[in-house]
Amino acid sequence: MDQERDFYKRLSEKGISRRDFMKYCGFLTATMGLSSSFIPRVAEVFAAPKQRPPVIVLHFGECTGCSEALLRTMYPWIDELVLEIVSIEYHETIFAAAGQQMEDNLHAAVKKYAGKFICLVEGAIATKYDGAYGKIAGRTFLEIARDVCPKAAAVIAHGSCATFGGIQAAAPNPGGYKGVGDALGMKVVNISGCPPNPVNLVGTIVNYLLLGKLPELDEIGRPLFAYGKTIHDQCPRRGHYESDEFVLEFGSKEEKLGYCLYMMGCKGPETYNNCPVAKFNDGTSWPVEAGHPCIGCSEPGFWDKMTPFFEQKT
Amino acid sequence: MAKILIDPITRIEGHLRIEVEVAGGKVVDAWSSGQMFRGIELILQGRDPRDAPLFCQRT
Repeated sequence: MDQERDFYKRLSEKGISRRDFMKYCGFLTATMGLSSSFIPRVAEVFAAPKQRPPVIVLHFGECTGCSEALLRTMYPWIDELVLEIVSIEYHETIFAAAGQQMEDNLHAAVKKYAGKFICLVEGAIATKYDGAYGKIAGRTFLEIARDVCPKAAAVIAHGSCATFGGIQAAAPNPGGYKGVGDALGMKVVNISGCPPNPVNLVGTIVNYLLLGKLPELDEIGRPLFAYGKTIHDQCPRRGHYESDEFVLEFGSKEEKLGYCLYMMGCKGPETYNNCPVAKFNDGTSWPVEAGHPCIGCSEPGFWDKMTPFFEQKT
Repeated sequence: MAKILIDPITRIEGHLRIEVEVAGGKVVDAWSSGQMFRGIELILQGRDPRDAPLFCQRT
């Protein structure tokens, strides 16, 4: 009880009311595809966690945009809650230690929690020239991943780089970059997107804490609760598509009227993600709502398959 | 002459390595190096220019 009271006190100090928090839990529960009866249990995962699993966060070839998306939401603290319910053992972007101390943290955590920790990976792994295009503390990304990932209880690839190689794997892929599952030949959970919606990562981790297992995945490793439907099928502009009402030029009357962006190159019909429902920045908006055609960022190889972004392939 | 090596540098985005040479309590030489090459410049070649901002955001 004390723990729970303390939690709500800290929440209000951050300017978040209990009501706001419960609303967030309701949103998270719905995103995870669970019935509303789970809301109190989801809240409990945050307010009175029974366990705080160790998490090792590895950064490879990427822009850190996925971490930024998680850390810089509008209510900064709400998605950051995920950092409260887990015990972060290694994270290059937020840790104060550097150099040798940081390396010691990694080795100690891997040894201490072998078989128990969750390995969260952000960024792709260079494979050309034995991985020489990317190194940390003298070891290649490939060596580090081969050392750490197989010792984890679960590996979660966070973002399009870690899942499918991302931007550095776009043609001609100078460094031979690959996603984590591909580079290591192992099964991982793929939270794709550039960046992925933080709620999809939080949902996956809460699912693990609440039900003791990882969520159900599609054939390319993405949680079905988030990547089960196309953008097109959930799009608020879908009615315009069905009525042949298209934007043909930016700055036009049709654009002002919010017509369908298909002719402007929208890749919504081929892209599986929950952006129209989950939205970004605490439900403020998402690309198509803001007037930009979907670029298909949660699909494998989208930097090559979905480009040119502003044209529709026929 | 003592050499100090800091890798990884934390609280930044990317993979940076700093080597410093110290003699008599003073830094006499230093090297910094980015430890990752992704090749965004090579990837951009020959693409639709309208796509460039979307690529460059991700550096």
